[in-house]
Amino acid sequence: MTPEAEFNLGGVVKEQLLELQEFTLLLWRGFRNIFQRPFYFDDTLRQMDVIGVGSLPIVILTGFFTGAVMALQLSATLAAYGQVERTGELVAISLVRELGPVLASLMVAGRNASGMASELGSMVVTEQIDAMRALGTDPIKKLVTPRLVATLIMNFFLAIIADIFGVIGGWIYAVLGIGLDSRQFWSSAFYALDFRDLVQGLTKPVVFGIIVAAVGCYFGLRARGGTEGVGRATTQAVVAASLLIIMSDFVISRVLITFIGQLH
Amino acid sequence: MLSSTSGHDSLESAGAAGPVLRFENVHLAFDGLAVLRGVSFIARRGETKVLLGEAASGKTLLLKLALGLQRPDSGAVWVLGQPVSDLPESRLFALRRHIGMVFQESALFDSLSVRENVAYRLREEHELTEDTIEQRVRRALSFVELEEAIDKMPGELSGGMKRRVAIARALSSEPEVMLYDSPTGGLDPITSTTIMELIIKLRDENNVTSLLVTHRLQDAYLLATHVWDTQNRRLRAAAPERSHTSFLLLREGKVWFDGDGHQLMNSGDDYVKTFME
Ligand SMILES: Nc1ncnc2c1ncn2[C@@H]1O[C@H](COP(=O)(O)OP(=O)(O)O)[C@@H](O)[C@H]1O
Ligand SMILES: [Mg+2]
Repeated sequence: MTPEAEFNLGGVVKEQLLELQEFTLLLWRGFRNIFQRPFYFDDTLRQMDVIGVGSLPIVILTGFFTGAVMALQLSATLAAYGQVERTGELVAISLVRELGPVLASLMVAGRNASGMASELGSMVVTEQIDAMRALGTDPIKKLVTPRLVATLIMNFFLAIIADIFGVIGGWIYAVLGIGLDSRQFWSSAFYALDFRDLVQGLTKPVVFGIIVAAVGCYFGLRARGGTEGVGRATTQAVVAASLLIIMSDFVISRVLITFIGQLH
Repeated sequence: MLSSTSGHDSLESAGAAGPVLRFENVHLAFDGLAVLRGVSFIARRGETKVLLGEAASGKTLLLKLALGLQRPDSGAVWVLGQPVSDLPESRLFALRRHIGMVFQESALFDSLSVRENVAYRLREEHELTEDTIEQRVRRALSFVELEEAIDKMPGELSGGMKRRVAIARALSSEPEVMLYDSPTGGLDPITSTTIMELIIKLRDENNVTSLLVTHRLQDAYLLATHVWDTQNRRLRAAAPERSHTSFLLLREGKVWFDGDGHQLMNSGDDYVKTFME
Protein backbone atom coordinates (compact mmCIF):
# COMPACT_ATOMS: atom_id res chain seq x y z
CA MET A 1 0.00 0.00 0.00
CA THR A 2 1.33 3.42 -0.87
CA PRO A 3 1.60 5.97 1.91
CA GLU A 4 -1.05 8.03 0.17
CA ALA A 5 -3.54 5.20 0.09
CA GLU A 6 -2.88 4.51 3.75
CA PHE A 7 -3.47 8.13 4.57
CA ASN A 8 -6.78 8.09 2.71
CA LEU A 9 -7.93 4.95 4.44
CA GLY A 10 -7.18 6.58 7.77
CA GLY A 11 -9.11 9.62 6.65
CA VAL A 12 -12.14 7.56 5.67
CA VAL A 13 -12.17 5.68 8.96
CA LYS A 14 -11.79 8.92 10.86
CA GLU A 15 -14.65 10.46 8.90
CA GLN A 16 -16.92 7.50 9.62
CA LEU A 17 -16.09 7.67 13.31
CA LEU A 18 -16.79 11.39 13.34
CA GLU A 19 -20.15 10.77 11.70
CA LEU A 20 -20.99 8.10 14.21
CA GLN A 21 -20.04 10.50 16.97
CA GLU A 22 -22.24 13.23 15.53
CA PHE A 23 -25.13 10.81 15.11
CA THR A 24 -24.81 9.63 18.70
CA LEU A 25 -24.62 13.22 19.90
CA LEU A 26 -27.82 14.09 18.03
CA LEU A 27 -29.56 11.06 19.53
CA TRP A 28 -28.38 12.00 23.02
CA ARG A 29 -29.44 15.61 22.70
CA GLY A 30 -32.77 14.55 21.21
CA PHE A 31 -33.52 12.33 24.20
CA ARG A 32 -32.15 14.64 26.86
CA ASN A 33 -34.62 17.29 25.71
CA ILE A 34 -37.59 15.07 26.55
CA PHE A 35 -37.08 16.06 30.17
CA GLN A 36 -36.23 19.73 29.65
CA ARG A 37 -38.48 22.72 29.15
CA PRO A 38 -39.98 23.94 26.92
CA PHE A 39 -41.99 20.91 25.79
CA TYR A 40 -43.36 20.98 22.29
CA PHE A 41 -46.50 18.90 22.82
CA ASP A 42 -48.28 20.29 19.78
CA ASP A 43 -45.39 19.42 17.50
CA THR A 44 -45.21 15.92 18.99
CA LEU A 45 -48.94 15.36 18.48
CA ARG A 46 -48.73 16.60 14.90
CA GLN A 47 -45.84 14.20 14.24
CA MET A 48 -47.78 11.33 15.81
CA ASP A 49 -50.59 12.10 13.42
CA VAL A 50 -48.28 12.28 10.39
CA ILE A 51 -46.39 9.12 11.30
CA GLY A 52 -49.10 7.00 12.92
CA VAL A 53 -52.27 7.82 11.06
CA GLY A 54 -50.44 8.45 7.81
CA SER A 55 -48.67 5.08 7.87
CA LEU A 56 -51.69 3.07 8.99
CA PRO A 57 -52.99 1.99 5.55
CA ILE A 58 -49.63 0.79 4.25
CA VAL A 59 -48.84 -1.02 7.49
CA ILE A 60 -52.22 -2.76 7.46
CA LEU A 61 -51.75 -3.87 3.85
CA THR A 62 -48.18 -4.98 4.49
CA GLY A 63 -49.21 -7.02 7.54
CA PHE A 64 -52.23 -8.55 5.86
CA PHE A 65 -50.46 -9.80 2.74
CA THR A 66 -47.37 -10.91 4.64
CA GLY A 67 -49.57 -13.05 6.89
CA ALA A 68 -51.40 -14.44 3.88
CA VAL A 69 -48.25 -15.36 2.00
CA MET A 70 -46.74 -16.91 5.12
CA ALA A 71 -49.81 -19.13 5.45
CA LEU A 72 -49.54 -20.01 1.78
CA GLN A 73 -45.86 -20.95 1.91
CA LEU A 74 -45.69 -22.52 5.38
CA SER A 75 -48.78 -24.66 4.91
CA ALA A 76 -47.21 -26.28 1.86
CA THR A 77 -44.08 -27.19 3.83
CA LEU A 78 -46.06 -28.28 6.89
CA ALA A 79 -48.31 -30.45 4.72
CA ALA A 80 -45.24 -32.44 3.70
CA TYR A 81 -44.80 -33.37 7.37
CA GLY A 82 -48.50 -33.86 7.92
CA GLN A 83 -48.66 -30.91 10.29
CA VAL A 84 -50.69 -28.42 8.31
CA GLU A 85 -52.82 -27.65 11.38
CA ARG A 86 -49.81 -25.87 12.90
CA THR A 87 -49.99 -23.16 10.24
CA GLY A 88 -51.55 -20.67 12.66
CA GLU A 89 -48.79 -21.22 15.17
CA LEU A 90 -45.97 -20.60 12.72
CA VAL A 91 -47.63 -17.62 11.11
CA ALA A 92 -48.20 -15.99 14.51
CA ILE A 93 -44.70 -16.64 15.80
CA SER A 94 -42.89 -15.40 12.72
CA LEU A 95 -45.09 -12.33 12.54
CA VAL A 96 -44.81 -11.30 16.17
CA ARG A 97 -41.09 -11.98 16.52
CA GLU A 98 -39.84 -10.76 13.18
CA LEU A 99 -42.01 -9.84 10.27
CA GLY A 100 -44.51 -7.55 11.96
CA PRO A 101 -41.94 -5.25 13.58
CA VAL A 102 -39.39 -5.41 10.75
CA LEU A 103 -41.74 -4.93 7.82
CA ALA A 104 -43.85 -2.28 9.53
CA SER A 105 -40.68 -0.39 10.46
CA LEU A 106 -39.28 -0.68 6.94
CA MET A 107 -42.52 0.83 5.66
CA VAL A 108 -42.34 3.60 8.24
CA ALA A 109 -38.69 4.15 7.28
CA GLY A 110 -39.56 4.43 3.61
CA ARG A 111 -42.28 6.90 4.35
CA ASN A 112 -41.07 8.86 7.36
CA ALA A 113 -37.28 8.70 7.45
CA SER A 114 -37.42 10.13 3.94
CA GLY A 115 -40.12 12.59 4.92
CA MET A 116 -38.12 13.86 7.87
CA ALA A 117 -34.88 14.07 5.90
CA SER A 118 -36.50 16.06 3.10
CA GLU A 119 -38.46 18.31 5.45
CA LEU A 120 -35.52 19.15 7.71
CA GLY A 121 -33.14 19.19 4.73
CA SER A 122 -35.14 21.85 2.93
CA MET A 123 -35.33 23.81 6.17
CA VAL A 124 -31.53 23.69 6.33
CA VAL A 125 -30.90 24.81 2.77
CA THR A 126 -33.48 27.62 2.97
CA GLU A 127 -31.89 28.76 6.26
CA GLN A 128 -35.07 28.12 8.24
CA ILE A 129 -33.06 26.19 10.81
CA ASP A 130 -30.69 29.14 11.20
CA ALA A 131 -33.71 31.43 11.45
CA MET A 132 -35.11 29.23 14.18
CA ARG A 133 -31.89 29.49 16.17
CA ALA A 134 -31.76 33.22 15.50
CA LEU A 135 -35.26 33.50 16.97
CA GLY A 136 -34.29 31.71 20.14
CA THR A 137 -35.36 28.11 19.49
CA ASP A 138 -33.19 25.03 19.80
CA PRO A 139 -33.99 23.15 16.56
CA ILE A 140 -33.11 19.82 18.16
CA LYS A 141 -35.73 20.40 20.80
CA LYS A 142 -38.33 21.77 18.42
CA LEU A 143 -37.78 19.38 15.50
CA VAL A 144 -35.82 16.29 16.51
CA THR A 145 -37.24 15.46 19.95
CA PRO A 146 -40.91 15.51 18.84
CA ARG A 147 -40.06 13.26 15.90
CA LEU A 148 -38.14 10.82 18.09
CA VAL A 149 -40.91 10.58 20.67
CA ALA A 150 -43.68 10.38 18.08
CA THR A 151 -41.99 7.71 15.96
CA LEU A 152 -41.02 5.62 18.97
CA ILE A 153 -44.61 5.55 20.26
CA MET A 154 -46.36 5.17 16.92
CA ASN A 155 -44.02 2.50 15.60
CA PHE A 156 -44.80 0.40 18.67
CA PHE A 157 -48.51 0.46 17.87
CA LEU A 158 -48.01 0.12 14.13
CA ALA A 159 -46.03 -3.09 14.67
CA ILE A 160 -48.85 -4.50 16.81
CA ILE A 161 -51.33 -3.57 14.10
CA ALA A 162 -49.14 -5.25 11.48
CA ASP A 163 -49.08 -8.38 13.68
CA ILE A 164 -52.85 -8.40 14.07
CA PHE A 165 -53.61 -7.87 10.41
CA GLY A 166 -50.92 -10.39 9.51
CA VAL A 167 -52.60 -13.10 11.55
CA ILE A 168 -55.95 -12.12 10.03
CA GLY A 169 -54.41 -12.42 6.55
CA GLY A 170 -52.99 -15.81 7.44
CA TRP A 171 -56.31 -16.92 8.88
CA ILE A 172 -58.29 -15.89 5.80
CA TYR A 173 -55.90 -17.76 3.53
CA ALA A 174 -55.84 -20.78 5.84
CA VAL A 175 -59.63 -21.02 5.86
CA LEU A 176 -60.37 -20.13 2.26
CA GLY A 177 -57.23 -21.41 0.55
CA ILE A 178 -56.29 -24.48 2.56
CA GLY A 179 -59.63 -25.29 4.15
CA LEU A 180 -58.35 -25.27 7.74
CA ASP A 181 -60.78 -24.99 10.62
CA SER A 182 -61.14 -21.39 11.77
CA ARG A 183 -61.18 -22.13 15.49
CA GLN A 184 -58.19 -24.42 15.23
CA PHE A 185 -56.19 -21.74 13.43
CA TRP A 186 -56.85 -19.15 16.11
CA SER A 187 -56.19 -21.40 19.08
CA SER A 188 -52.96 -22.70 17.57
CA ALA A 189 -51.88 -19.12 16.85
CA PHE A 190 -52.86 -17.91 20.29
CA TYR A 191 -51.33 -20.69 22.37
CA ALA A 192 -48.08 -20.65 20.42
CA LEU A 193 -47.25 -17.15 21.60
CA ASP A 194 -45.17 -16.92 24.72
CA PHE A 195 -44.37 -13.78 26.72
CA ARG A 196 -40.79 -14.02 25.43
CA ASP A 197 -42.08 -13.64 21.88
CA LEU A 198 -44.01 -10.60 22.98
CA VAL A 199 -40.91 -9.09 24.62
CA GLN A 200 -39.04 -9.47 21.34
CA GLY A 201 -41.96 -8.29 19.28
CA LEU A 202 -42.51 -5.19 21.38
CA THR A 203 -38.89 -4.19 22.01
CA LYS A 204 -37.97 -4.19 18.35
CA PRO A 205 -40.45 -1.60 17.07
CA VAL A 206 -39.37 0.82 19.80
CA VAL A 207 -35.71 0.54 18.79
CA PHE A 208 -36.59 0.65 15.09
CA GLY A 209 -38.73 3.74 15.67
CA ILE A 210 -35.77 5.49 17.27
CA ILE A 211 -33.62 4.47 14.30
CA VAL A 212 -36.11 5.83 11.76
CA ALA A 213 -36.46 9.23 13.44
CA ALA A 214 -32.81 9.67 14.37
CA VAL A 215 -31.54 8.71 10.92
CA GLY A 216 -34.16 10.82 9.13
CA CYS A 217 -33.35 13.88 11.23
CA TYR A 218 -29.60 13.32 11.05
CA PHE A 219 -29.47 13.19 7.25
CA GLY A 220 -31.92 16.07 6.99
CA LEU A 221 -29.94 18.33 9.31
CA ARG A 222 -26.67 17.75 7.52
CA ALA A 223 -28.07 18.33 4.03
CA ARG A 224 -26.00 20.83 2.05
CA GLY A 225 -26.20 22.31 -1.40
CA GLY A 226 -29.74 23.19 -2.43
CA THR A 227 -32.53 20.91 -3.58
CA GLU A 228 -30.03 18.41 -4.97
CA GLY A 229 -28.51 18.00 -1.53
CA VAL A 230 -31.94 17.51 -0.03
CA GLY A 231 -32.74 14.77 -2.55
CA ARG A 232 -29.48 13.04 -1.72
CA ALA A 233 -30.15 13.27 2.02
CA THR A 234 -33.60 11.76 1.51
CA THR A 235 -32.32 8.72 -0.35
CA GLN A 236 -29.46 8.20 2.06
CA ALA A 237 -31.82 8.38 5.03
CA VAL A 238 -34.09 5.61 3.70
CA VAL A 239 -31.17 3.35 2.80
CA ALA A 240 -29.37 3.89 6.10
CA ALA A 241 -32.51 3.51 8.22
CA SER A 242 -33.56 0.30 6.43
CA LEU A 243 -30.11 -1.24 6.73
CA LEU A 244 -29.84 -0.30 10.39
CA ILE A 245 -33.26 -1.82 11.09
CA ILE A 246 -32.33 -5.13 9.49
CA MET A 247 -28.90 -5.28 11.12
CA SER A 248 -30.12 -4.28 14.55
CA ASP A 249 -32.93 -6.82 14.26
CA PHE A 250 -30.32 -9.57 14.33
CA VAL A 251 -28.51 -7.99 17.27
CA ILE A 252 -31.67 -7.46 19.32
CA SER A 253 -32.88 -11.03 18.63
CA ARG A 254 -29.53 -12.46 19.64
CA VAL A 255 -29.31 -10.40 22.83
CA LEU A 256 -32.88 -11.06 23.93
CA ILE A 257 -32.64 -14.78 23.29
CA THR A 258 -29.46 -14.86 25.32
CA PHE A 259 -31.02 -13.05 28.26
CA ILE A 260 -34.61 -14.22 28.34
CA GLY A 261 -34.52 -17.28 26.10
CA GLN A 262 -37.08 -18.48 23.60
CA LEU A 263 -39.65 -21.29 23.73
CA HIS A 264 -39.29 -22.78 20.24
CA MET B 1 -22.99 59.29 17.73
CA LEU B 2 -20.11 58.22 19.84
CA SER B 3 -16.83 60.04 19.96
CA SER B 4 -14.25 58.60 17.63
CA THR B 5 -11.95 57.56 20.46
CA SER B 6 -14.41 55.06 21.94
CA GLY B 7 -13.59 52.59 19.19
CA HIS B 8 -10.23 51.95 20.78
CA ASP B 9 -11.48 51.26 24.28
CA SER B 10 -10.39 48.08 25.96
CA LEU B 11 -12.70 45.07 25.61
CA GLU B 12 -13.68 45.16 29.27
CA SER B 13 -15.53 48.42 28.82
CA ALA B 14 -17.06 47.48 25.50
CA GLY B 15 -20.59 47.68 26.95
CA ALA B 16 -22.69 50.74 26.39
CA ALA B 17 -19.78 52.97 25.46
CA GLY B 18 -17.77 50.74 23.12
CA PRO B 19 -18.62 49.63 19.60
CA VAL B 20 -21.80 47.60 19.29
CA LEU B 21 -20.14 45.07 17.01
CA ARG B 22 -16.51 44.08 17.06
CA PHE B 23 -14.68 41.42 15.06
CA GLU B 24 -11.11 40.70 16.17
CA ASN B 25 -8.82 38.76 13.90
CA VAL B 26 -11.48 36.21 13.00
CA HIS B 27 -10.34 33.08 11.18
CA LEU B 28 -12.66 30.42 9.82
CA ALA B 29 -11.99 27.48 7.51
CA PHE B 30 -14.21 24.70 6.13
CA ASP B 31 -12.67 21.36 5.24
CA GLY B 32 -9.22 22.90 5.34
CA LEU B 33 -10.24 25.76 3.04
CA ALA B 34 -9.73 29.14 4.71
CA VAL B 35 -12.69 31.46 4.10
CA LEU B 36 -11.90 34.16 6.67
CA ARG B 37 -8.24 34.85 7.31
CA GLY B 38 -8.06 37.49 10.01
CA VAL B 39 -11.06 39.79 9.76
CA SER B 40 -11.23 42.76 12.13
CA PHE B 41 -13.66 45.67 12.17
CA ILE B 42 -16.07 47.51 14.41
CA ALA B 43 -19.50 49.07 14.04
CA ARG B 44 -20.66 51.82 16.37
CA ARG B 45 -24.14 52.41 17.71
CA GLY B 46 -26.48 53.61 14.97
CA GLU B 47 -24.01 52.80 12.24
CA THR B 48 -24.78 50.73 9.17
CA LYS B 49 -21.85 48.77 7.85
CA VAL B 50 -22.28 47.65 4.26
CA LEU B 51 -20.48 44.38 3.52
CA LEU B 52 -19.24 44.06 -0.03
CA GLY B 53 -17.34 41.23 -1.66
CA GLU B 54 -17.45 38.67 -4.42
CA ALA B 55 -19.68 35.61 -4.15
CA ALA B 56 -18.42 33.14 -1.53
CA SER B 57 -16.11 35.74 0.04
CA GLY B 58 -17.70 35.11 3.44
CA LYS B 59 -20.24 37.94 3.78
CA THR B 60 -23.03 35.70 5.02
CA LEU B 61 -20.57 34.04 7.37
CA LEU B 62 -19.83 37.38 9.03
CA LEU B 63 -23.53 37.79 9.80
CA LYS B 64 -23.77 34.25 11.15
CA LEU B 65 -20.70 34.82 13.30
CA ALA B 66 -22.30 37.97 14.72
CA LEU B 67 -25.36 35.90 15.71
CA GLY B 68 -23.29 33.06 17.09
CA LEU B 69 -24.75 30.65 14.50
CA GLN B 70 -21.16 29.95 13.50
CA ARG B 71 -18.11 30.00 15.70
CA PRO B 72 -14.71 31.23 14.54
CA ASP B 73 -11.72 28.89 14.54
CA SER B 74 -9.79 31.68 16.22
CA GLY B 75 -10.32 35.34 17.00
CA ALA B 76 -13.30 36.86 18.75
CA VAL B 77 -16.68 38.38 17.98
CA TRP B 78 -18.24 40.86 20.39
CA VAL B 79 -21.81 42.07 20.14
CA LEU B 80 -23.32 44.53 22.64
CA GLY B 81 -20.40 43.90 24.94
CA GLN B 82 -20.90 40.12 24.94
CA PRO B 83 -18.29 37.66 23.66
CA VAL B 84 -20.57 35.91 21.16
CA SER B 85 -17.82 33.58 20.00
CA ASP B 86 -17.31 32.20 23.51
CA LEU B 87 -20.83 32.10 24.93
CA PRO B 88 -22.56 28.73 25.37
CA GLU B 89 -25.67 28.27 23.19
CA SER B 90 -27.95 28.76 26.19
CA ARG B 91 -26.58 32.26 26.85
CA LEU B 92 -26.67 33.06 23.14
CA PHE B 93 -30.45 32.55 23.04
CA ALA B 94 -30.85 35.46 25.45
CA LEU B 95 -28.46 37.69 23.52
CA ARG B 96 -30.14 36.97 20.18
CA ARG B 97 -33.22 38.72 21.50
CA HIS B 98 -31.30 41.94 20.81
CA ILE B 99 -30.19 40.94 17.32
CA GLY B 100 -32.54 40.64 14.35
CA MET B 101 -31.55 38.85 11.19
CA VAL B 102 -33.09 39.02 7.74
CA PHE B 103 -31.93 35.96 5.81
CA GLN B 104 -31.08 35.97 2.13
CA GLU B 105 -34.17 34.16 0.87
CA SER B 106 -36.22 35.44 3.83
CA ALA B 107 -36.25 31.98 5.49
CA LEU B 108 -39.87 32.32 6.58
CA PHE B 109 -41.32 29.19 8.17
CA ASP B 110 -43.32 27.63 5.32
CA SER B 111 -45.84 25.95 7.56
CA LEU B 112 -46.72 29.06 9.58
CA SER B 113 -48.88 32.04 8.62
CA VAL B 114 -47.45 35.54 8.44
CA ARG B 115 -48.90 36.23 11.89
CA GLU B 116 -47.25 33.15 13.38
CA ASN B 117 -43.96 33.86 11.64
CA VAL B 118 -43.80 37.34 13.12
CA ALA B 119 -45.07 36.13 16.51
CA TYR B 120 -42.61 33.24 16.55
CA ARG B 121 -40.08 34.64 18.99
CA LEU B 122 -42.70 36.22 21.21
CA ARG B 123 -44.47 32.87 21.57
CA GLU B 124 -41.23 31.03 22.23
CA GLU B 125 -40.56 33.33 25.15
CA HIS B 126 -43.82 32.30 26.87
CA GLU B 127 -44.02 35.60 28.70
CA LEU B 128 -46.56 37.69 26.85
CA THR B 129 -50.34 37.49 26.72
CA GLU B 130 -52.13 36.77 23.44
CA ASP B 131 -53.30 40.39 23.26
CA THR B 132 -49.81 41.79 23.66
CA ILE B 133 -48.45 39.39 21.06
CA GLU B 134 -51.16 40.38 18.58
CA GLN B 135 -50.42 44.07 19.21
CA ARG B 136 -46.68 43.60 18.72
CA VAL B 137 -47.22 41.57 15.55
CA ARG B 138 -49.49 44.24 14.11
CA ARG B 139 -47.04 46.98 15.04
CA ALA B 140 -44.17 45.15 13.32
CA LEU B 141 -46.30 44.47 10.25
CA SER B 142 -47.51 48.04 10.03
CA PHE B 143 -43.90 49.22 10.18
CA VAL B 144 -43.25 47.25 6.99
CA GLU B 145 -46.69 48.28 5.67
CA LEU B 146 -47.99 44.78 5.31
CA GLU B 147 -50.72 44.49 7.91
CA GLU B 148 -53.22 43.24 5.35
CA ALA B 149 -51.14 40.09 4.74
CA ILE B 150 -51.33 38.94 8.36
CA ASP B 151 -53.40 35.82 7.62
CA LYS B 152 -51.55 34.80 4.46
CA MET B 153 -49.14 31.87 4.19
CA PRO B 154 -45.56 32.53 2.97
CA GLY B 155 -46.29 30.61 -0.24
CA GLU B 156 -48.88 33.22 -1.21
CA LEU B 157 -46.46 36.16 -0.93
CA SER B 158 -44.27 37.80 -3.57
CA GLY B 159 -40.50 38.00 -3.01
CA GLY B 160 -40.71 41.60 -1.83
CA MET B 161 -43.54 40.84 0.59
CA LYS B 162 -41.60 37.90 1.98
CA ARG B 163 -38.62 40.13 2.58
CA ARG B 164 -40.83 42.63 4.42
CA VAL B 165 -42.35 39.90 6.59
CA ALA B 166 -38.81 38.71 7.35
CA ILE B 167 -37.93 42.25 8.47
CA ALA B 168 -41.07 42.39 10.61
CA ARG B 169 -40.20 39.02 12.15
CA ALA B 170 -36.69 40.21 12.95
CA LEU B 171 -38.14 43.38 14.50
CA SER B 172 -40.63 41.59 16.75
CA SER B 173 -38.28 41.75 19.74
CA GLU B 174 -37.26 45.34 18.96
CA PRO B 175 -33.57 44.52 18.51
CA GLU B 176 -30.74 47.01 18.77
CA VAL B 177 -28.75 45.27 16.07
CA MET B 178 -29.98 44.17 12.65
CA LEU B 179 -28.23 41.87 10.19
CA TYR B 180 -29.44 41.97 6.60
CA ASP B 181 -28.27 39.36 4.09
CA SER B 182 -28.84 40.73 0.56
CA PRO B 183 -32.22 42.20 1.51
CA THR B 184 -32.87 43.36 -2.06
CA GLY B 185 -31.50 40.30 -3.84
CA GLY B 186 -33.80 39.11 -6.61
CA LEU B 187 -36.19 42.04 -6.28
CA ASP B 188 -37.18 44.61 -8.90
CA PRO B 189 -35.77 48.16 -8.50
CA ILE B 190 -38.95 49.70 -7.11
CA THR B 191 -39.47 46.98 -4.50
CA SER B 192 -35.76 47.20 -3.65
CA THR B 193 -36.10 50.89 -2.92
CA THR B 194 -39.06 50.21 -0.63
CA ILE B 195 -36.96 47.73 1.32
CA MET B 196 -33.99 50.09 1.50
CA GLU B 197 -36.31 52.84 2.72
CA LEU B 198 -37.36 50.61 5.64
CA ILE B 199 -33.74 49.89 6.46
CA ILE B 200 -32.82 53.58 6.42
CA LYS B 201 -35.88 54.38 8.54
CA LEU B 202 -34.72 51.84 11.13
CA ARG B 203 -31.23 53.25 11.07
CA ASP B 204 -32.24 56.87 11.52
CA GLU B 205 -35.44 56.64 13.53
CA ASN B 206 -34.59 53.76 15.86
CA ASN B 207 -30.81 54.18 15.90
CA VAL B 208 -30.38 50.50 15.01
CA THR B 209 -26.83 49.29 14.39
CA SER B 210 -26.56 47.01 11.39
CA LEU B 211 -24.50 44.93 9.05
CA LEU B 212 -25.89 44.78 5.54
CA VAL B 213 -24.73 42.54 2.72
CA THR B 214 -25.55 43.76 -0.74
CA HIS B 215 -24.62 43.18 -4.36
CA ARG B 216 -26.41 46.29 -5.58
CA LEU B 217 -24.36 49.47 -5.70
CA GLN B 218 -27.62 51.45 -5.83
CA ASP B 219 -28.41 50.17 -2.31
CA ALA B 220 -25.01 51.22 -1.02
CA TYR B 221 -25.37 54.60 -2.69
CA LEU B 222 -28.85 55.17 -1.26
CA LEU B 223 -27.68 54.25 2.23
CA ALA B 224 -24.71 56.60 2.02
CA THR B 225 -26.51 59.60 0.54
CA HIS B 226 -29.97 59.57 2.10
CA VAL B 227 -31.47 59.91 5.54
CA TRP B 228 -34.98 59.35 6.82
CA ASP B 229 -36.96 62.53 7.18
CA THR B 230 -39.10 61.90 10.23
CA GLN B 231 -41.32 64.92 9.67
CA ASN B 232 -42.20 64.25 6.05
CA ARG B 233 -42.04 60.45 6.37
CA ARG B 234 -39.80 59.94 3.38
CA LEU B 235 -36.15 59.77 2.31
CA ARG B 236 -34.20 62.96 1.94
CA ALA B 237 -30.79 63.48 0.33
CA ALA B 238 -28.04 64.23 2.82
CA ALA B 239 -24.27 64.51 2.96
CA PRO B 240 -22.52 61.12 3.38
CA GLU B 241 -21.18 62.05 6.82
CA ARG B 242 -24.75 62.39 8.09
CA SER B 243 -25.82 58.97 6.90
CA HIS B 244 -23.92 56.90 9.50
CA THR B 245 -22.97 54.42 6.83
CA SER B 246 -19.60 52.85 6.19
CA PHE B 247 -18.32 50.17 3.86
CA LEU B 248 -16.26 47.06 4.23
CA LEU B 249 -14.90 45.15 1.26
CA LEU B 250 -13.82 41.56 1.77
CA ARG B 251 -11.18 40.02 -0.45
CA GLU B 252 -9.52 36.64 -0.08
CA GLY B 253 -10.59 36.32 3.51
CA LYS B 254 -9.35 39.72 4.62
CA VAL B 255 -10.69 43.23 4.94
CA TRP B 256 -9.50 44.92 1.77
CA PHE B 257 -11.19 48.23 2.42
CA ASP B 258 -12.95 49.73 5.45
CA GLY B 259 -14.14 53.33 5.38
CA ASP B 260 -16.96 55.78 4.70
CA GLY B 261 -18.67 56.66 1.44
CA HIS B 262 -16.26 59.47 0.57
CA GLN B 263 -13.23 57.25 1.01
CA LEU B 264 -14.86 54.47 -0.99
CA MET B 265 -15.74 56.67 -3.95
CA ASN B 266 -12.38 58.42 -3.95
CA SER B 267 -10.29 55.33 -3.41
CA GLY B 268 -7.34 54.96 -5.74
CA ASP B 269 -7.16 51.21 -5.21
CA ASP B 270 -7.65 49.18 -8.38
CA TYR B 271 -9.64 46.38 -6.79
CA VAL B 272 -11.99 48.82 -5.08
CA LYS B 273 -12.41 50.63 -8.39
CA THR B 274 -13.23 47.48 -10.35
CA PHE B 275 -15.64 46.56 -7.62
CA MET B 276 -17.42 49.89 -7.84
CA GLU B 277 -18.06 49.57 -11.57
N1 LIG C 1 -21.60 25.57 6.98
C1 LIG C 1 -20.69 25.57 5.99
N2 LIG C 1 -20.02 24.45 5.66
C2 LIG C 1 -19.09 24.45 4.69
N3 LIG C 1 -18.76 25.52 3.97
C3 LIG C 1 -19.38 26.68 4.23
C4 LIG C 1 -20.39 26.77 5.25
N4 LIG C 1 -20.82 28.04 5.30
C5 LIG C 1 -20.14 28.72 4.34
N5 LIG C 1 -19.27 27.91 3.70
C6 LIG C 1 -18.37 28.30 2.63
O1 LIG C 1 -17.77 29.52 2.96
C7 LIG C 1 -17.68 30.36 1.82
C8 LIG C 1 -18.29 31.71 2.10
O2 LIG C 1 -19.67 31.55 2.25
P1 LIG C 1 -20.67 32.78 2.38
O3 LIG C 1 -20.38 33.55 3.62
O4 LIG C 1 -22.03 32.21 2.30
O5 LIG C 1 -20.34 33.64 1.10
P2 LIG C 1 -21.06 34.96 0.57
O6 LIG C 1 -20.01 36.02 0.63
O7 LIG C 1 -21.44 34.67 -0.84
O8 LIG C 1 -22.23 35.22 1.44
C9 LIG C 1 -18.33 29.62 0.68
O9 LIG C 1 -17.31 29.06 -0.13
C10 LIG C 1 -19.14 28.56 1.34
O10 LIG C 1 -19.18 27.40 0.55
MG1 LIG D 1 -24.23 35.01 1.01
